[in-house]
Amino acid sequence: MLFCAFFLVVGCEKADIKEEVLQTESQAFLSTYQPMASENIVIVNANMFDGLGNEFKDYDLLLKDGKIQAIGPDLVIDGSEVIDAQGKWVTPGIIDIHSHMGVYPAPGVRTSSDGNEATAPVTAEVWAEHSVWTQDPQFVLALKGGITSFHVLPGSANLMGGRGTTFKNVPNNSIQAMKFPNAPHSLKMACGENPKRVYGSRGQSPATRMGNMAGYRKAWIDAERYYEDIQEGKDTKRDLRNDTLAGVLSGDILVQNHCYRADEMMMMIEMSKEFDYQITTFHHAVEAYKVADALAEHGICAAMWADWWGFKHEAYDMVQANIAIVDQARGGSGCAIVHSDDEVGIQHLNQEAAKAMAAGNRAGYDISEARAMKWITYNPAKAAGILDQTGTLEVGKDADVVLWSGNPFSVYSKAEKVFIDGALAYDRDDPKKRPVTDFELGILNPNSARIES
Amino acid sequence: MRRSLFILCIFFSFSSSIKAELLITQANIHVGDGTDAFTADILIKDGVIQRIATNISAQSNWEIIDAGGLNVTPGLISPTSNIGIVEINALDVTRDDESEFLKSGFSVFHAFNPNSTLIPWNRSNGVTGTISTPSWRSFPFWGMGSYFLLDASMNITGLKDVAMYGRLGSSGRSRAEDILVFEALFKLAMTIDIDDIEDELDDSHLAEKFELQPEDILAIRRLIEEKLPFVLETNRAADILQAIRLKNTFGLNLILASVEEAPLVLEALAAADIPVIIDPMDNIPDSFDELASSLDLAGTLDQAGITIMFSTQRSHNYHLMRQGAGNAVAYGMDYNNAIKGMTKAVADIFRIPNRGSVQVGNYADLVVWDGDPLEPSTFPKYVFINGESMDLTTRSTRLTERYSKETSKPRSYLH
Repeated sequence: MLFCAFFLVVGCEKADIKEEVLQTESQAFLSTYQPMASENIVIVNANMFDGLGNEFKDYDLLLKDGKIQAIGPDLVIDGSEVIDAQGKWVTPGIIDIHSHMGVYPAPGVRTSSDGNEATAPVTAEVWAEHSVWTQDPQFVLALKGGITSFHVLPGSANLMGGRGTTFKNVPNNSIQAMKFPNAPHSLKMACGENPKRVYGSRGQSPATRMGNMAGYRKAWIDAERYYEDIQEGKDTKRDLRNDTLAGVLSGDILVQNHCYRADEMMMMIEMSKEFDYQITTFHHAVEAYKVADALAEHGICAAMWADWWGFKHEAYDMVQANIAIVDQARGGSGCAIVHSDDEVGIQHLNQEAAKAMAAGNRAGYDISEARAMKWITYNPAKAAGILDQTGTLEVGKDADVVLWSGNPFSVYSKAEKVFIDGALAYDRDDPKKRPVTDFELGILNPNSARIES
Repeated sequence: MRRSLFILCIFFSFSSSIKAELLITQANIHVGDGTDAFTADILIKDGVIQRIATNISAQSNWEIIDAGGLNVTPGLISPTSNIGIVEINALDVTRDDESEFLKSGFSVFHAFNPNSTLIPWNRSNGVTGTISTPSWRSFPFWGMGSYFLLDASMNITGLKDVAMYGRLGSSGRSRAEDILVFEALFKLAMTIDIDDIEDELDDSHLAEKFELQPEDILAIRRLIEEKLPFVLETNRAADILQAIRLKNTFGLNLILASVEEAPLVLEALAAADIPVIIDPMDNIPDSFDELASSLDLAGTLDQAGITIMFSTQRSHNYHLMRQGAGNAVAYGMDYNNAIKGMTKAVADIFRIPNRGSVQVGNYADLVVWDGDPLEPSTFPKYVFINGESMDLTTRSTRLTERYSKETSKPRSYLH
């Protein structure tokens, strides 16, 4: 900047203006999330899965000032509230990389069904967070299932559906107050049947898979020009769509790509090379097992269901070992994620991981529970770009922690206490320590909440 | 001709070749009737359970499978599925669950495809029988479901039109009108002269308005005359009370499905002696009819003595009612009742003879599980239908095999 001031005053003014514009853009709608007040808490004698692939017995965990301060056997700590977790399990907070909570809230009525801006095949300019209804009771249900962070995406009607945002699961009455601090945005892209069905049925492009490919490539060509103009300091009118796409090209915005079929994933990888961007995750990757090595080589995660299939043609080739095969690709360097895309599934990601692990082991792999825990903690944190802040039980990370009544891979185990940034966000034993959204208050009976547990 | 189609309840009995005796030893037997499991041997002959006792001494020509203390349950029966009538939901050309001109008289029976991939898939996960049903429609009656044995034989074993399915609740028009339609159709079906049904329907405004066919009226008549099970999907507490009133007024054999607000009218429901089909995992207040939806539903109903069967919202994976049952137990349902809800309760309520429980005289539809059958991570080790051990290969296991091998060739050459 100093260099500019001396030698290229005019050009630099323009560059300054442009930089200012970009800065303004990046500072709009920032997170205003503040952790709830918390006590210092030490959980002792717990069985722990740390999210890094380790299992510990009789371990202690200190939550202090909203962070994980210590983890180890026989921690000696004074002045903290002690929770005896004998016979119980502790894990990092569970993270869902694919949610439509808030944008498709419950009740599922037309007036708040705000997840698909299905008016044009490329709507990279819209942000899912601007659709989120903060009163969605599904946030609370997910919290009871141990979900501490979740990534909300636009739907898959469009080739490029808009931006996704990561949230802390502390219901509050503004979106910004729920946004995960410093988490990157994502761009939702969609392969296959949905875009071509939505627009083809209107006699518009894309009506075919080749139309899909042409649609993405045209958008990237425009975005490349925009990105170059910005980098060169040209006085370019700010464009919301290209802001998002240029954010992908610069690496600031992560690509979350709905893509079921293996052949389409390979095409998307080729396109990412053509336009020099990185795909972070393929979502609903029912056929990921067919290209697991390629995904591992390209550093791309696959977010998958344990067993969903058959509701559409591109979901016909489901194998229960899909998650395990992706995980074990290239000597265990694959990035496998269990995702939900579903308001019921998000409450039981631990059970979905249990099914996927068991299926993998039946198919001949040797996957431990500690390893499978990564599929719902470490790996989704990585895919959301928040692994430096959460996703494991490591000293210095946000104290996003779940205390389970038993082994989390059992159907009988429940999240007993859920901590977010060290604060008790949910307590199964204390009705006062559970959030109740405005929507739920006094709705069936003026003197109670929608449900009492 | 039309009349006989609906009055006859056709049972295609299974034709099996004579098989040698099969002895399953050391089985931890869950009978399926709500009682505790016990360990014993099961002797099967000609596809039927002959004896259940400890230490049955085997003869040399018997086939023996040692269950080694593993859990054995009856084969699971799904009380509502699309198995055999829908292959891919989003492809209309693979769907046979929707009718063009029939309503209550619609039967899916003749559409059943024994070669559907859903059969080996659900069977390898423990489901040996299903009632396949018409899909949701806005008209209060959807049509009739039929029972099918999932042995994938081209010689189909099934029971035609074992139950009527329908709904009561929010649909875009007033539910008051739906209730009126129910009442009017029940009355019409009972008063119509069957020998002159075509002419009488020509004179009926109701029949004209809804374009009802004789088949539709005759099917509704069975609900009252034969007490054909009537599965009514409803959620709002006030609607459940209306359903109970309809049952009492017309003497229906009523089963309620979904019932997410049932805890608000628990005593009335229990007193009405109505079994339910629920998805215990669906605690989402999806609509304004389901505001009381919660994970406690199964436990609450079970403790009130209400018989529970299970559905799942997930298409294709009807075996996942097992995960639902596990969650039901986690939230207060009795374990043995949960097993019963997937087996004997379904057979009893839908009048499927000689199946659904591990007892002498019943067909040997059995599952040997590698763990607790209510844990999602448990899988069947053996599945028997009519005493025959089913091949657990599925299209899914074939694909897994193809893609877990190292190869330099295109994988299309690995088979």
